[in-house]
Amino acid sequence: MENRPLEYDYTVAKMFMVSTIVLGIVGMLIGVILAFQLAYPDVNLMLGEKFAEYTNFSRLRPLHTDAVIFGFTFNGIFATWYYVGQRVLKVSMAESRFLMFLGKFHFWAYMLIIVAVVVSLLAGVTTSKEYSEFEWPIDIAVVVVWVSWGVSIFGLIGIRREKSLYISVWYYIATFLGIAMLYLFNSMEIPTFLGQSAAGESGIGDWYHSVSMYAGTNDALVQWWYGHNAVAFGFTVPIVAMIYYFLPKESGQAIYSYKLSLLSFWGLMFVYLWAGGHHLLYSTVPDWMQTMGSIFSVILILPSWGSAINMLLTMKGEWQQVASSPLIKFMILGSTFYMFSTLEGPIQAIKSVNAIAHFTDWIIGHVHDGTLGWVGFMIMAALYHMAPRVFKREIYSKSLMVMQFWIQTLGVVLYFTSMWVAGITQGMMWRAHDEFGNLAYSFIDTVTVLHPYYAIRGVGGLLYLVGFLMFAYNIYKTMSSRRVEESELQSASPMGA
Amino acid sequence: MNKLYLWGIIITAFMLGATYYTVVLTKGGLNGDIVNMLAITGAVALVVITVFVVVKYVRQMQTDTAEGQLADEDWDGIGEYLNEVPKGWAIVFLLTLVWGMWYFTIGYPVNAYSQIGEYNEDVVVHNAKFEKQYANITGDRLVEMGESVFLAECKVCHGLSADGIDGKAADLNARIEAKSVKFIIENGSNNELIGMEMPMPDRNGLFNATSGALITDAEIELVSSYVADGMSGKGAEIYAGTCAACHGGDGKGMDYVAPNIVAFTPTLVSNILKHGKKGAIGQMPAFDRLNAKQKEAVGAYITSLSK
Amino acid sequence: MFHWLEKHPFFFAVAVFVTIAFAGAIEIIPNFAQASRPTIGTAPYSTLELAGRHVYIKNSCNACHSQLVRPFKSETDRYGHYSLSGEYAYDRPFLWGSKRTGPDLMRVGNYRTTDWHENHMKDPAGVVPGSIMPSYRWLFKNDTDIDTAFAEQLTVAKFFSVPYNKPVPMKDGSSIVVKMGSSIEDAKAIALAEAKLIVADMKDQDVKDAVAKNKIPEIVALIAYLNSLK
Ligand code: HEC
Ligand code: HEC
Ligand code: HEC
Ligand code: HEM
Ligand code: HEM
Ligand SMILES: [Ca+2]
Ligand SMILES: [Ca+2]
Ligand SMILES: [Cu+2]
Repeated sequence: MENRPLEYDYTVAKMFMVSTIVLGIVGMLIGVILAFQLAYPDVNLMLGEKFAEYTNFSRLRPLHTDAVIFGFTFNGIFATWYYVGQRVLKVSMAESRFLMFLGKFHFWAYMLIIVAVVVSLLAGVTTSKEYSEFEWPIDIAVVVVWVSWGVSIFGLIGIRREKSLYISVWYYIATFLGIAMLYLFNSMEIPTFLGQSAAGESGIGDWYHSVSMYAGTNDALVQWWYGHNAVAFGFTVPIVAMIYYFLPKESGQAIYSYKLSLLSFWGLMFVYLWAGGHHLLYSTVPDWMQTMGSIFSVILILPSWGSAINMLLTMKGEWQQVASSPLIKFMILGSTFYMFSTLEGPIQAIKSVNAIAHFTDWIIGHVHDGTLGWVGFMIMAALYHMAPRVFKREIYSKSLMVMQFWIQTLGVVLYFTSMWVAGITQGMMWRAHDEFGNLAYSFIDTVTVLHPYYAIRGVGGLLYLVGFLMFAYNIYKTMSSRRVEESELQSASPMGA
Repeated sequence: MNKLYLWGIIITAFMLGATYYTVVLTKGGLNGDIVNMLAITGAVALVVITVFVVVKYVRQMQTDTAEGQLADEDWDGIGEYLNEVPKGWAIVFLLTLVWGMWYFTIGYPVNAYSQIGEYNEDVVVHNAKFEKQYANITGDRLVEMGESVFLAECKVCHGLSADGIDGKAADLNARIEAKSVKFIIENGSNNELIGMEMPMPDRNGLFNATSGALITDAEIELVSSYVADGMSGKGAEIYAGTCAACHGGDGKGMDYVAPNIVAFTPTLVSNILKHGKKGAIGQMPAFDRLNAKQKEAVGAYITSLSK
Repeated sequence: MFHWLEKHPFFFAVAVFVTIAFAGAIEIIPNFAQASRPTIGTAPYSTLELAGRHVYIKNSCNACHSQLVRPFKSETDRYGHYSLSGEYAYDRPFLWGSKRTGPDLMRVGNYRTTDWHENHMKDPAGVVPGSIMPSYRWLFKNDTDIDTAFAEQLTVAKFFSVPYNKPVPMKDGSSIVVKMGSSIEDAKAIALAEAKLIVADMKDQDVKDAVAKNKIPEIVALIAYLNSLK
């Protein structure tokens, strides 16, 4: 192996870092608005009656999910890939003009897609499929971008100096393959301009409109095979890729066990795909498929916890680092929330528990202890670690970071406990019969009872957003504060007061 | 005590407190429902297991030290120990795998579970439980039962106090409004109110025996308020001459001929719930999914409102 | 073996792909044909109903409303018979939803009516005190896109053999025919005729005037769709 220090090229990583932060702010701001709309419906009219069509809950909700998933999370994934990829493969983007071009194309084409998504969702152009709302022209653009990312991954791998792939790279490859397969099959749709009337007219109606290739129960099966695994390959696999790099790197510790990494990875790959049925419990899909979903969800606890435990054990004997570094705190609490949500999910996947949990806010709570506590914390930690190295400047303020950590932790706790109470309450009220054998509550009774919890959730979300703005400010200041020495620190990131 | 354990206990207590609050102090409640109990058991297990396991590993950060044999490679300075996998984890993984295979190939097929089968059993149990009870529900208890149906099913249209929410549905505190009577006289009515197809003619079929002519606009106006006011005020002769033949002199209706128009009766309400009703205010949907006792009860409740 | 894979990215990728693709196939394929058979009594959407379904999707009503009645006593008491697979045979896309912020709408056509929807969509809290559903006043002004609905009918008839203009068996042994226009003009006329039946039960004067002028506000199509959910 060569000893010459490599000059890694972070141009593309920087671009994606900026978009991660901007879209994070946008997505979470919309989340906070949604939360307050459910607590105080007047917020639906925040820009007046005239714009109500564009500011009401139902138009904005898909915008929130897509902004945080495809905006915040995926930009974070790309940003870290263009950083981690070079370093663990020991090859610089600067070594290939082609890869450099492709990286920039990837970025700009992706930004175009995001603009198209925002415009079309605001206009109400959607196919209604959760996390895959886009009409076919956007789908095609997504495929193009995805392929360009794939070429970029395998291109870099092709010219690598480090022969054996680091764990994080396994997970990035899986992310690429998983999403490619899922997205393609779930987006099969036929543009309706292909229809031709008896009178011979064709090209009728909106050119971008399409109709799903699958109907009813089949459509549901394909959608939740996608939806569940989009969580796997969007919120789990690539985030695990991040923690496997950033935690040992920041702490300077070696990974606790290679074998545990190996078993967790292949276990996760094998088990995850079978579990999608847990979104369709008590629906019209056959019982055996539902049972399969439940069983594999329970098995899934172990490969999920395997990675988290591996990370916690990597920090064995390093309590002083956890105590002193807010960056490591983010990652340790992130793993904890990861464990919490990957136990919560399987419990909610048990049929009788799902009878209560499905359709309620308990699921929303589960979603956000995963996304806020795990995905959000990890992406912020990754960017914090990257910032001093890509900008060659120390992190602007450590104390701001500490404050941010506690504010956001409080935010997540308020979010998931309020939704915990709300969901279980509502689930039980829906089921209740009174002494006469009649339904005990009309639907609206089960709505008004949630008001206080919706308000608390709104406050929790607001705290999280405030913390995110502190993060954005801290990174912004990092980009413009004093220089640190040329030589890069191997582990612990330099932080200003 | 170690701060870590203290935190673990605080967090566990906090979440268990939230769960206790949910079950006991809000409107949900376990209600002896096995599904509720399983869900709560799951919730409790989730908190306890997560906190316990995380504290165990974080504790190792405080007390243990990292050691082991390092792999040959390192990536960007990151090394890997060749440690064995944690035993507990490996055993539980194996056990869940074995359990999963067993359950899918033997446990589940032998049990022959079907969600529709389970539903059918539940319905039988539920019905059996209440059928016995229904026989004894009469009088005030019946009205109470009717109120419970009303609050779950009807209040979205008729309002909490059954006032029809500003004319969006019928005000059930009085038998009928003048506006509706007038509408029916002008347009006739065909809502199977007496349980069978028996339309009331429109104004072109309503002959006033006293005046010897078809009913006039002025007479309609008068008789409508007469009926709506509970058969009082002006318009008694018009009523007697035009309507009494079918609705009876006292307006209480006649079997197989015309419905009661001064008071609600359980039968009338039952018929409305069976067929729905379209009138001056709008359309009332049919409610066939209610069982006979529920219809009787809500009928008793509505009858009680205008008394 | 695994260590070898880690040094051979191509085979590594193949191994990952095979592992993840396998489960998907088992999950989806076995039931595919069976689930697409319609139950007796399930008919395709008429032009106006389909346009209303587009309005429903455009406004993401599915963000708050499910369309799936699970087989629990408490749900069948509240919403009616539990859902059957074949009832969804013409639903492209399916609209089961995953969150019930508002009630299930699978069979709302059985127990809510045109005039109620009219009041409710304009001002939900005015009808149901404490409701957190937004009001949808712009539906009373925007025009329905009948063209796209018609294009979709043509597409599904062609690619998925959805039986338009063909007898569809009903539960009582009779059969009905759902019409699809032979041209855009024809389709619009069919939709307008349906719209007239709906507005007859509505009160909003602007909407009535619009339909009298051969326009169809979105609310009319949406109500036609909601009424069809039985
Ligand atoms: C030929 C017999 C006949 C005559 C005469 C008649 N009705 Fe009726 N009326 C009926 C029948 C039958 C119904 C039930 C129709 C239905 O099922 O919708 C009815 C229904 C009604 C209802 C509706 C009750 C409700 O809850 O909607 C009102 C009010 C009413 N009649 C008032 C009158 C008045 C006032 C007159 C005289 C001006 C009158 N009727 C004359 C036969 C008659
Ligand atoms: C979707 C709205 C809606 C629901 C739900 C509803 N109603 Fe009604 N109901 C109406 C409307 C509208 C009318 C008035 C019809 C008319 O124009 O006369 C009405 C009329 C009635 C009448 C007749 C009043 C009269 O003066 O003739 C009775 C009785 C009644 N409803 C009982 C009930 C009961 C009991 C329930 C619940 C099991 C119920 N309604 C649920 C809308 C509703
Ligand atoms: C913010 C969540 C939300 C959105 C978005 C929403 N609804 Fe609702 N909806 C509710 C709630 C809560 C209720 C129950 C209270 C009530 O009846 O207003 C409800 C009730 C209803 C009902 C009455 C059903 C019944 O059984 O009483 C219908 C019909 C309905 N909504 C249709 C729609 C349509 C159509 C849209 C989209 C154009 C929509 N809703 C959007 C929350 C929502
Ligand atoms: C072992 C791992 C997991 C399992 C078995 C699991 C299981 C479940 C179950 C049962 C549901 C509810 C389905 C329903 O009733 O509607 C659900 C929903 C969801 N979960 Fe998980 N979960 C896991 C991990 C995670 C993680 C780590 C995240 C995110 C970081 C996550 C994100 C989501 C999301 C976004 C939904 C909502 C899907 C929807 O729109 O309905 N899950 N999960
Ligand atoms: C400031 C923080 C946030 C707030 C206040 C917030 C709020 C909300 C609200 C109110 C909903 C709708 C819930 C409902 O329909 O009842 C929602 C849905 C959702 N949010 Fe967030 N959110 C935030 C951040 C995030 C982040 C960072 C992510 C992902 C990385 C995320 C992912 C999701 C997903 C996947 C759903 C859909 C859940 C489902 O359908 O089951 N949210 N959020
Ligand atoms: Ca699509
Ligand atoms: Ca959802
Ligand atoms: Cu899932």
